[in-house]
Amino acid sequence: MAYEFNERTIKIIIDRRRCSECRTKACVKACSLYDRGILMIREGVPVLREGADAEREGTECLACEEECRLRGFNALKIEAPIAGLEEYKKAHGV
Amino acid sequence: MTYLFDINMVRLLEYQGKQILRKCGIAIPAGRIGSNPDEAEQIASELNKPVVVKAQVWSTGRGKAGGIKFAYSKEETRRTAENLLGSEIKGFKVEKVLVEEKLDIDREFYIGVIVDDSYKVRSPVVIFSTRGGVDIEEVSRETPEKIARMNVDIFQGLKLYDAYYLLKSLNVESGLLRPLGEVICGVYDLFRKYDARSIEINPLILTKNGEIFAADCRFVIDDSSVPRHPELGISIARDSDKPLSGLEEIAWTIEEGDYRGVSFFAQLAPETGKEGYIGYHGIGGGGAILGVDALERQGLRIADYADTSGNPTASKVYRIVKTIFAQKNIVGYFLAGFCVANQEQWHHAHGIVKALREELKDRKGFPVVLVLAGNKEEESLQILKEGLEDLPIRLEVYGREHVYDTDFVAGRMKTLVDEYLSERRE
Repeated sequence: MAYEFNERTIKIIIDRRRCSECRTKACVKACSLYDRGILMIREGVPVLREGADAEREGTECLACEEECRLRGFNALKIEAPIAGLEEYKKAHGV
Repeated sequence: MTYLFDINMVRLLEYQGKQILRKCGIAIPAGRIGSNPDEAEQIASELNKPVVVKAQVWSTGRGKAGGIKFAYSKEETRRTAENLLGSEIKGFKVEKVLVEEKLDIDREFYIGVIVDDSYKVRSPVVIFSTRGGVDIEEVSRETPEKIARMNVDIFQGLKLYDAYYLLKSLNVESGLLRPLGEVICGVYDLFRKYDARSIEINPLILTKNGEIFAADCRFVIDDSSVPRHPELGISIARDSDKPLSGLEEIAWTIEEGDYRGVSFFAQLAPETGKEGYIGYHGIGGGGAILGVDALERQGLRIADYADTSGNPTASKVYRIVKTIFAQKNIVGYFLAGFCVANQEQWHHAHGIVKALREELKDRKGFPVVLVLAGNKEEESLQILKEGLEDLPIRLEVYGREHVYDTDFVAGRMKTLVDEYLSERRE
């Protein structure tokens, strides 16, 4: 079961089945360095820090996804949709 | 709320500006807008007199470009509308024509109110000329004695006697002082009421019957004031010299309501044009323009002008890059960070890496040149290099050592694009 939460305009989806094997916890380190540290580790997997208001506090830095890909288990995906862009690309053959 | 218009730009078309003029008591010729030849013919039939058929596009010099035609019967009006509708005037497609009565012209004037934001003025400026119907810049060059201007103290406003003074300085005869003065004051009041950036009526016509009509109108609302005028129905508060394209409207949604930094996107190349353009992504207005010039010197054309500045979020940067790659015709991506920015550049780096990884994983040899300098530069360049190194692309990443060396970096872009196109031809 994926763990999900939203920031103001993006959605973070974490497949935590992979996270328990992860030694680096690079996502949390990245969150602390590039964002406001809204992620923490609880029982071996990343979760939102207790009391964190991700939609207000999150800065949408996207760093956790890249750090997880490079140094973790590629378990974290971020969706940052752009309304109408996919339809536009289809219509213009892109 | 009933909206006066439903438009995506702050520049109004002639007929839209005239609607406002009429509501505020400034006379305009009888007529209305038509979207097809049937409607144009019907309007001419109702007017039952010679008409002028005017292409509704936001461009100057419509007359010389063939966008303004006279017609002397309803059949001729129909034919004229058929020819104009769907045609292009100075690159703009004509979707509507304004059919109006042809005026019996005695004299033509010019009236404009603009903002002079120079340090010594910083006020609205009223400009009047006794030589209308031609470009005011041309009048200024050839017959400067026929133009008068007056700076207006916004706390005092423009009084009728100010307008008289302006007209007298041009030796306008006494009989015209009141009617012209009232129009001048009326245009100024509109300028203030609608928080305009500029209003121009050129020509302002004096007919042989002694009546005064606004025969044209260029009306630009200040983009910062759009939220104060919901009644106008302007959906995108951004100044542009053309109606926004579909992609620009999409890009606006990235910016709209999200004030965390700037993410500007303007599409410059035709949406269906042949390929060969560079997807252009600048950081910081002035430096970014230097990059455009440098690419031009290399013979490269840009598909768009995008700018992410003012410490935008990585998600905003990501979305702008995705928008750039929604252009079919690009053969290269150029990040022109030609400034040593004080924003933490790693947010740019993360946004760019995510977008390029999604867009370029299958585009073998695609040229990418990145210049990024400023706060956290070393870390940011490392993020770019590490994040993109496994993509099958032509990648070059530069920092502050080349931040002022636009010609070198643009030259590298040119080399990579030439290699890429040559490889594709083979």
